[in-house]
Amino acid sequence: MTHAITPVRAACRHRLRRAIAWWAAFATALLVTGSALAHKASDSYLDLRITGSEVSGQWDIALRDIEVAIGLDADGNGEIRWGEVRRRHDALAAWALSSLTVAREGPCALQVTGHAVDTHTDGAYAVLTLAGQCQGSGGPVSLDYRLLGDIDTLHRGLLKLSLDGVAQAAVLVPGQAATVFGSTSPGPLASMATFLVQGVWHIWIGLDHILFLLALLLPAVLVRRHGRWIGVPNFGAAVRDVVAVVTAFTAAHSITLSLAALGWVSLPSRWVESVIAASVVLAAANNLRPVIGGRRWVVAFGFGLIHGFGFASVLADLGLPAATLAWSLAGFNIGVELGQLAIVAAFLPLAYMLRHTGLYRQVIFTGGSWAAMVLAALWFVQRAFDLSWPI
Amino acid sequence: MWAAAALGVAAAPALSAPYVPASDDVVLERLPWRAGDATATALAGLRAAARSDPDSAQAAADLAERYFDLALAQGDPRYVGYADAALARFKGEPGAEWLTMRGVVRQYRHDFPGALQDFERALQKDPSHAPAHAWRGAVRLVQAEPTLAMQDCEALRRLDRAALAGACAGLAFAYAGRLEDAARTLEQALASAGADEQRVWLLTRLAEVAAWQDRPQVAEQRYRQALALGVESVYLRTAWADFLLDESRPAEVLQTLDGRESVDSLLLRLTEAATTLKRPQAQGWQRTLQDRYAAARARGDTTHLGEEARFELQVRGDPVTALRLAQENYTTQREPRDARILLLSAAATGNLAAARAAIDWLQRTGFEDRRMRALAGLSSAPPRPDPPAR
Repeated sequence: MTHAITPVRAACRHRLRRAIAWWAAFATALLVTGSALAHKASDSYLDLRITGSEVSGQWDIALRDIEVAIGLDADGNGEIRWGEVRRRHDALAAWALSSLTVAREGPCALQVTGHAVDTHTDGAYAVLTLAGQCQGSGGPVSLDYRLLGDIDTLHRGLLKLSLDGVAQAAVLVPGQAATVFGSTSPGPLASMATFLVQGVWHIWIGLDHILFLLALLLPAVLVRRHGRWIGVPNFGAAVRDVVAVVTAFTAAHSITLSLAALGWVSLPSRWVESVIAASVVLAAANNLRPVIGGRRWVVAFGFGLIHGFGFASVLADLGLPAATLAWSLAGFNIGVELGQLAIVAAFLPLAYMLRHTGLYRQVIFTGGSWAAMVLAALWFVQRAFDLSWPI
Repeated sequence: MWAAAALGVAAAPALSAPYVPASDDVVLERLPWRAGDATATALAGLRAAARSDPDSAQAAADLAERYFDLALAQGDPRYVGYADAALARFKGEPGAEWLTMRGVVRQYRHDFPGALQDFERALQKDPSHAPAHAWRGAVRLVQAEPTLAMQDCEALRRLDRAALAGACAGLAFAYAGRLEDAARTLEQALASAGADEQRVWLLTRLAEVAAWQDRPQVAEQRYRQALALGVESVYLRTAWADFLLDESRPAEVLQTLDGRESVDSLLLRLTEAATTLKRPQAQGWQRTLQDRYAAARARGDTTHLGEEARFELQVRGDPVTALRLAQENYTTQREPRDARILLLSAAATGNLAAARAAIDWLQRTGFEDRRMRALAGLSSAPPRPDPPAR
């Protein structure tokens, strides 16, 4: 080293540092080693979706790691700016792709098609969008992960893989032999079961579908007499109304879900999302100032056609396995219906019991319709005009 | 996409999503170093030396050692991975220094058998290599082998490392249950200690020994002396917080650890205190800890097990999970605190037999801690065990 430190002083310093390091043997080995360190070790997050021969995915790599591997801090001021990352995009893409080999009956050609950033618990990450094409469309997939292997042996790649619609996860260790993910392609029934669960789950977390359904069901236990709502005389009347609404909604969204999933019809997603929000507003408004009367099933059918497109985009995100397309689609459809039936089964007896009370008519029916209308109106503005605010 | 949009609407602020910054000037990350500062320059020099002489085990070991120091100083495990990679680049016949450094990295990952092998080989090459003795002694203590550790302490004494040898022997006595001898030896080491870092460590250990001896006033006095030295030490803060929790003084834990949430072990003590006091922060801290343990598990890291067991027992009130974790932890980590969480979890599930290994250790050593002996159902006047070899 060419510093103005005499060799003697340098040696002294070195010895002092050594003494402290030995001391550290006791100070560190004797406490819970990992948790004494404030930070977490280096991880990258690799999300891959492989459907047939199509590959798409996202790869989050810590900026700190990229800095060590290929250098980002061009001006050497200890800060990494977006401009410094942007100017290294080509080098970053080349380095990342050279550290990952995906193969399905031969290597898959991968490309980085987009760059962004994100924040994880331990700092800023570059986000690479991946796309590519494999040589084969069936059989096992092998993943050879080498990122940072020569720099940081504690680095790991946390993989989430959706292979032909079946989710898998693994911890990838650089420098180890390629990991092989079985040609999972599950049988038709297993595939159907997987998508059935997804269908149930997606209706339950799709707040706007639930609100639409509930807005249409709220009046089912009431009838309009002389401009006022009163409770229906018997359970049968309520059930008839519910069956009509639910059947119409189901039939309609099954039709469009299938058409869209098979790629025969497609609509712009912003338009679909906005109309779905509008459908909730209208259904709720009709409760407060009825104009449609007893023919709510017609509304359920009409807007159900649009809701079907909404489900279809979820299904597209999940990735339908080509081999068991019909079974998976049927499974997802049945899942959506079962999820819906569960909601109805929870709602109807309760509503029927409470139908003569002020609680039901004023709070649940009128108040609930108002709340649904306001919330959906906000969604509508947000979606139609592409705004974002945290509600 | 559609359901995701709906979900996002319901839970938006917590979700982060990739974005493209609005301008080139947006600062995304601040590095812990800066090109040209002393650390970066020194590292660059060591890296260049290792690159220009790939056949030098010494150059690889020097670079690895500097990385490991940085890991401890900055609390950043990335440097441990860098140290390991620097060592791995050397392919020839290694010397004592290289072997010792690799053992150090291995013990960090809790690969204790691998680490002991490396220290063994280092000492075959150079029996007077003090760091290999120091680290081997430390690993043997962690594995509840105080008699074997005492051999390393003795070697350190012969090599004229008085303070280090005293620290080593003091701990070996303590873990063998001989607390009077431990306190006396640590006192002597304290008298010969040269640096404040050493004094802090010795005072912390003296405080722990006093607490095990059921002398809380002495323990507190030791802790306060250590804190007064003004050297930041995670180990000291952790032990002091544990003492305060044992003494039912959780409010002081919140005070003394204020602003130190980034260190997992300290966050655990904060969460225990806040949970006891029913403070509003408790919930958020609990979630953060759960996330961090989950992240560690996701990458196959098992170094948190003892701490996680404590979290499950004291914070989440799930003794069954706590016992499972504490048992797994005790297969590699066998310090008094590991024995204690095993005993506590076993007692909480009503199945004391599950803590057999810890009870055996208490019986064998006659370790005097009143709390642990009561948990294990042992009398608090233990028979005097055989002294470890000196």
